[in-house]
Amino acid sequence: MVFDAIKKLIVEFNDSDPDAITLETTFKDLGIDSLDTAELLINLEETVGKEIELDEEVTTVGDLVAFVEKKLKE
Amino acid sequence: MLKSKLCQLLGIEYPIIQGGMAHVADGKLAAAVSAGGGLGLIGAGNAPGDWVREQIRVAASLTDKPFGVNIMLLSPFVKEVAQVVAEEKVRVVTTGAGNPSRYMESWKAAGIFVIPVVPSVSMTKLVVRAGADAVIAEGGESGGHVGELTTMVLVPQVCDVAGVPVIAAGGIADGRGLAAAFMLGACAAQIGTRFLSAYECGIHPLYKEKILAATDIATITTGKRLGHPVRSLKSPFSRAFYKAEYSDMSDEDLEAMGVGALALAVREGDWQRGSFLAGQSAGMVKKEQPAAEIIREICEEAEPLLKGAGAWVE
Repeated sequence: MVFDAIKKLIVEFNDSDPDAITLETTFKDLGIDSLDTAELLINLEETVGKEIELDEEVTTVGDLVAFVEKKLKE
Repeated sequence: MLKSKLCQLLGIEYPIIQGGMAHVADGKLAAAVSAGGGLGLIGAGNAPGDWVREQIRVAASLTDKPFGVNIMLLSPFVKEVAQVVAEEKVRVVTTGAGNPSRYMESWKAAGIFVIPVVPSVSMTKLVVRAGADAVIAEGGESGGHVGELTTMVLVPQVCDVAGVPVIAAGGIADGRGLAAAFMLGACAAQIGTRFLSAYECGIHPLYKEKILAATDIATITTGKRLGHPVRSLKSPFSRAFYKAEYSDMSDEDLEAMGVGALALAVREGDWQRGSFLAGQSAGMVKKEQPAAEIIREICEEAEPLLKGAGAWVE
């Protein structure tokens, strides 16, 4: 669920090929830097309806998915 | 006399904050700026906690006015520096390279006024939510690590969402820039490059000489490929770096090429191998002056401009 939401946001964000986005894909490979991540996060909060304080380093899409899933359970 | 809510909040006379330039902004420069009525900053850069503590004490011994520390969040010593500023109860902390949310609680408990540098609207929203007391909207005209947006477009957009005082930075070196910053919605300006020419700035004489000789097109941005572009004076080093960036050199080797280059510029004045960080406003820096005079001059120049702004309206 969270993965699908993040994937959708990334595709909307920079027209990435959805089939090329896996849990192992790094944000660097997607051409997404730290500033883009901040914007993605704000958009993601609107999607999930909850504030997410990103206080960990995320390198891959899977890292972000795991982080958001953890936060949603809190 | 310029009026700004930031002056009231921080207990300073003039709405000018000195940039927290790594390797450049030590306790002596910070104290000179604060004593001159602005807000001086010690640039922690990649320095360890002990050095920061020492500089805080140097500044405190030279002035009883408030001053601050700029913390680079990607520094290997960031945790100990974050603790030092809380222990020393520094009045203001500005932060660069990220979101300082994890340190916010301890800094607030120490009574510190926290001002993160923001390069975008989203980052503004995130740091304000985390408890920032004000933000510095820094455009890509500035020296050192730069964002993509210019001051002209970044400041008003940050003002639209911030809900806390906004300080404009990037490309401001005189009263015209300060007046424009107010017009964009900011309530103060952060100025770095102009203070490189301050008497109290301890950089190598050759560094100062190069700043004073700089023209409008004297700077270059390198390192975009690495994700953290840096603006510096065009020099043998920055030109070589620029060339290497567009060669087949690996990211690791390119990164290694930049290590230590700033220190070589600041301490040795090594024009061949040093990285002489400077903003685009270097071309507007014309003479060496005491920090206090720089501050006064900028504000005295801004005043009539702001008073005269009515001339544009019928």
